[in-house]
Amino acid sequence: MSHEGRHDHPEEERMILAHDPVPGYRPVFTVIFALSCLYLAYVLFTTL
Amino acid sequence: MINALPPAVILIVGALLIPLLKGRMKQAWMLLLPIASFVNLLSIPPGSHWSFSFLGYELVLGQLDRLSLIFGYIFHLIAFITNLYALHVEDRVQNIAGLAYAGAALGVIFAGDFFTLFVFWELLTICATFLVLARRTPEAFGAGFRYFMVHVAGGLCLLAGILLHVQQTGSVAVTFLGLNGLASYLIFIGVGVNCAWPLLHTWLTDAYPASTVTGTIYLSAFTTKAAVYLLARSFAGTDALIWIGAVMAGFPIFYAVIENDLRRVLAYSLINQVGFMVVGIGIGTELAVNGAVAHAFNDILFKGLLFMTMGAVLYRTGKINATDLGGLYKSMPWTCAFCIVGAASISAFPLFSGFVSKSMVMEAAAHDNLRLVWFVLLFASAGVFHHAGIKIPFFAFYSHDSGLRCKEAPRHMLLAMGLTAFLCIFIGSFPQYLYRLLPYATDYQPYTVSHVVAQTQLLFFSALAFTLLLLSGIYPAEIRSVNVDADWVYRKGGRLFYSLSDRIFNGLNNWGDRIFVRGIPGALARFFADPGANLQKAGARLTSGSSRDLAAIDAAIERRSRLGAYPVGIGVLLAVLCLSVMSFIFFW
Repeated sequence: MSHEGRHDHPEEERMILAHDPVPGYRPVFTVIFALSCLYLAYVLFTTL
Repeated sequence: MINALPPAVILIVGALLIPLLKGRMKQAWMLLLPIASFVNLLSIPPGSHWSFSFLGYELVLGQLDRLSLIFGYIFHLIAFITNLYALHVEDRVQNIAGLAYAGAALGVIFAGDFFTLFVFWELLTICATFLVLARRTPEAFGAGFRYFMVHVAGGLCLLAGILLHVQQTGSVAVTFLGLNGLASYLIFIGVGVNCAWPLLHTWLTDAYPASTVTGTIYLSAFTTKAAVYLLARSFAGTDALIWIGAVMAGFPIFYAVIENDLRRVLAYSLINQVGFMVVGIGIGTELAVNGAVAHAFNDILFKGLLFMTMGAVLYRTGKINATDLGGLYKSMPWTCAFCIVGAASISAFPLFSGFVSKSMVMEAAAHDNLRLVWFVLLFASAGVFHHAGIKIPFFAFYSHDSGLRCKEAPRHMLLAMGLTAFLCIFIGSFPQYLYRLLPYATDYQPYTVSHVVAQTQLLFFSALAFTLLLLSGIYPAEIRSVNVDADWVYRKGGRLFYSLSDRIFNGLNNWGDRIFVRGIPGALARFFADPGANLQKAGARLTSGSSRDLAAIDAAIERRSRLGAYPVGIGVLLAVLCLSVMSFIFFW
């Protein structure tokens, strides 16, 4: 099957593709975000 | 005297012969033409060739130097690759328009005078319009029409500038202009339309995703790069370009993140990458111009590769929205791999082509102490990794499983993508081959520890941000929608202009109609139907006291009028009036 860019089945197309949070993300997010900020701050201070 | 043809001729004339061929002959012809044209180009020595006089001006069909030659090489290369990719296309409109489009682009970059350049510039517009229209959908017809209108307006601006420039200087030579008067500003803006400057860019994100699978590959290579060439030729070192380029590099990031159509994401990404080139040209140093030209060379390849992979997805599935795709790595593993190479190249991963050119522009900005511009370019680098480096392959080939199961892309498409992917890695690994072609000799070394570490950190943190945002559910959902861009100003402004014009000019017309067509002539006609009686009635109205007397007087006047019996005084009054009017006309 090949198409030259024509949408043959518009009724099957999704309107939205949401990204649900993965359970337990918050502590991982917080730790990595904090570490990243610390690292970037370190880089900033050493280069100024 | 040289035994070669002007660079644009072979592709344009060859394109016109396509209707005479079909099947394998046509396919062989389409592959042969760029090769023959490239061999022809190699046989032309640097300098000005094919000069002739036209209306007292010297026109030059071939001006070859290092700047035009590198664009000539890459235009031939991408024409060959795109023809290979489009080998299955039986539509002659696309075949002819694609080849003639490449030929027109060669005509622009090798033109030695502005008249020749303008002719090929307009041919670019016509061919590109046909490439958009060739999809033959209502959206494509609308986008093609808008593309044509915008570029005709830009072309008129360019033409006005050229004519003023020629009138002021007497020269038609394509050379450095700088911004120094109305003519140069008009040329500058005319080029800016094709370069997709901010607020003039919406034709690109409108038309490119609306074109056919293969048409978009052609479109991504030529129009904007021909404009970049002309900026490098005529406006290198113009400060305004630094800021225009910085805005170009920055603003498309936001649109690309929320855009659902993956080919439109790439269209925004194209503007972002052209922004790097424009900044380089604006800085104007040898390193910066080299960086801009090298990035144009690389962008044609990696952006072409990304458009090719998305074209293959569209070709096989009929879908291109992120909401509909996902999980295609199982069905299209090769296409997925080539897409990742394109994504790594545009994101400037070390050992991929984008790294060796983007860093030149950023280095040039740093050398000139353009801190703000440097930070914008840094932000743009992170952004492009996010939307083109991650979003494109992730939503097309991974993400959620859309359930789509299709065949891998056809062999000729894979071959074209594979060749382009190889070139992306080769240039990234051995940049000296590209550097030898640049306008200025350079010993630039991209692979220093600081460059590699800085870029790797940038990419790592961008990927980390994407991952965290996605896993935490903060990443914006992909939504089938129309995102409002600067074209809102055209659309609403155009409608407002139409409405105001309608009210003002049609109102004036109606008013004029009421007064000068129906009002005054009607009153005159009524008066001159019986001027004697009417004068008497008017006189009676001025002198009579009551309306009852008036009715009787009017009846008496009309009776006399029917009998043709006026008082002598009325006849004298009419004669005096008539003589007065005639005297006024005669003596005035």
